[in-house]
Amino acid sequence: MNWAQILVLGLLLGGVYAMMASGLTLLFGVMRVVNLAHAAFILIASYLTYILFENLALDPIVSLVITMPLMFGLGVAIYLLLFPRIEASPRYIEMTVLLTFGLALVVEGILTFAFTGTFRSVRPGYASTSIRLGDLFIPSSQLYASTVSFALLMGLWAVLRFTKTGTAIRATMQNRSAAQIVGVNVRRISALAFGMGMALAGAAGSLLSFLFPFFPAKHWQWIALLLSLIVLGGMGSIKGAVIGALLLAIASAIVTDTFGPTWSPITFYLTLFLILLVRPQGLFGAKLRL
Amino acid sequence: MTHETEKLETTDLPVVDPIDGSPKDSVRAQGAMSRRVGLSLSLALVLLFPVIAIPIFDSYAYVMQVGMLMLMWISMSSSWNIIGGFAGYISLGHGVFFAIGGYSAGLALAHWGISPFLFLPLAGLAAMGVGLVAGLITLRTRGPAFIVATIAMLFLFLLWFDNWEFIGGSSGLDLPLIDFPIRWLKVPFYYAMAVSAMGAVYLSYRIAHSKFGLGLRAISEDETKAEVSGINTRWYKVIAFSLSAFFIGTAGAIYGYSLTHLRPLTFFAIAVAARMVLMAIIGGRGTVAGPVVGAILIVGVNEFSVRQFGQTELNIVVTGVILLATLLFFPRGIVGSLRNSGKLPAFLDWD
Repeated sequence: MNWAQILVLGLLLGGVYAMMASGLTLLFGVMRVVNLAHAAFILIASYLTYILFENLALDPIVSLVITMPLMFGLGVAIYLLLFPRIEASPRYIEMTVLLTFGLALVVEGILTFAFTGTFRSVRPGYASTSIRLGDLFIPSSQLYASTVSFALLMGLWAVLRFTKTGTAIRATMQNRSAAQIVGVNVRRISALAFGMGMALAGAAGSLLSFLFPFFPAKHWQWIALLLSLIVLGGMGSIKGAVIGALLLAIASAIVTDTFGPTWSPITFYLTLFLILLVRPQGLFGAKLRL
Repeated sequence: MTHETEKLETTDLPVVDPIDGSPKDSVRAQGAMSRRVGLSLSLALVLLFPVIAIPIFDSYAYVMQVGMLMLMWISMSSSWNIIGGFAGYISLGHGVFFAIGGYSAGLALAHWGISPFLFLPLAGLAAMGVGLVAGLITLRTRGPAFIVATIAMLFLFLLWFDNWEFIGGSSGLDLPLIDFPIRWLKVPFYYAMAVSAMGAVYLSYRIAHSKFGLGLRAISEDETKAEVSGINTRWYKVIAFSLSAFFIGTAGAIYGYSLTHLRPLTFFAIAVAARMVLMAIIGGRGTVAGPVVGAILIVGVNEFSVRQFGQTELNIVVTGVILLATLLFFPRGIVGSLRNSGKLPAFLDWD
């Protein structure tokens, strides 16, 4: 494979990864929650998309309008149900990791029970077509998924930048207690951010459903991938997540090309491991310590 | 340091003198007495159980199997508790040591014909060695970063084992069967696991009652303060991490032998690592008796639900729900909560 091809595929995939990770990094930024269940929630949306496609022949990209609001609601509900209870805990961050770990187990078990462990995928018409640009092959599905992802990322950026709520979210990210002092309802903002993070997970799930085959236990691979790229970018930094996603997607494309696809996940695990050890603050973020 | 010492010691005891806050001698002696009785009784029960069980249960092999599993999980969650409970560093990667133990003993059997029962100490040492190196690397991080690093470690090892032809890759490694009459087949595994479990509880007990254990608790309370008061926190943590690997390795060696077929996912599944953590948390993190109580409870509930409802994926849901409920409603676990309200029966107070 030539370098231009690797670069193009890496960038396209990186766009989707960036959107998957943006929700995770948003949650960490606003609430200091390392959400180990993020990929499990992405999978819920993938299965939802699968049901909609199989039964109503609904296009997976169109099904975003259903999965995103549903996941938003689920996110707010989960936040209100679980998190206010542990807010005062002296080991809050650690508690959130264990709590979301438990959530991930629950989601995985329910999905396996409902859909069995077999591989599923959604195959709309564009799943097997591709566009040819000179020497370059561009799979249509990846092009569409990437375009939608970048559009959503721009949307997220605009909301954070230009709306009053967005300003409140950014204020909470920078300094929680100071935001509270100037009148931000931090708990409401946290619930909202959790909902937004889940809505992004919903969108990611719909897009992934036609990019990769999926099964319930797959979320562990994805969460390792997502954590590695937001750790690389710096936790809590959305810009960092995007850059980390693009870098790692290209790196893993190179590893796949050189050593074969079985070794491609090693890019993510090794990066995660090395970054945590060498530069825990990542490229742009605050140091990931207690 | 001396002040810290006193504070930590007295908070662990249920009844204190109202004037100077020191434990009453009579209470301490009484507690030690019933603790000794409790420990001796449970030890006798563990050792005699295979004999007692013969006339009581029809499905002898099944009962022995469940007994072995309980002992295995006691061994694992008690070991995990050394780093996850005492030192407060939550590792979700301890499945690695289970695998190192299982595979090192399995390879010794398959290639040199050494019985895993004899190889047990070496399997433990192998796990400990890997634990030392892994600890030196992962313990450079703290808090959530440490948890994430241990997950990455688990996946790295899984990927490596899955693609390592020498040990059979993802399809696995076959071991010769143990030469033993079928009816009593499970008994040697039971006793080997009993040795591993008792070793783990003893190690945990000794650490809890040592200066080393005190240092670990100080680290879990406030690492900076611990460091300032002269504890070499880095080595304390690394040694605790390494020690916690030993009896997980031995448990892996025995369990792998009892399966006669080793596959990476049997050992590396995140559910395995999750279970150790769950048992320690539900029983009471940082207590000696907690992981034992948690292991017996979770294995019991699991066997019951498998018998009642069959082997479904709902078991993993139950695991998750129990973890959530424990974290939300009694984060100190059974033993920790009971002690906090002064209701812990003395025979369970092993700290």
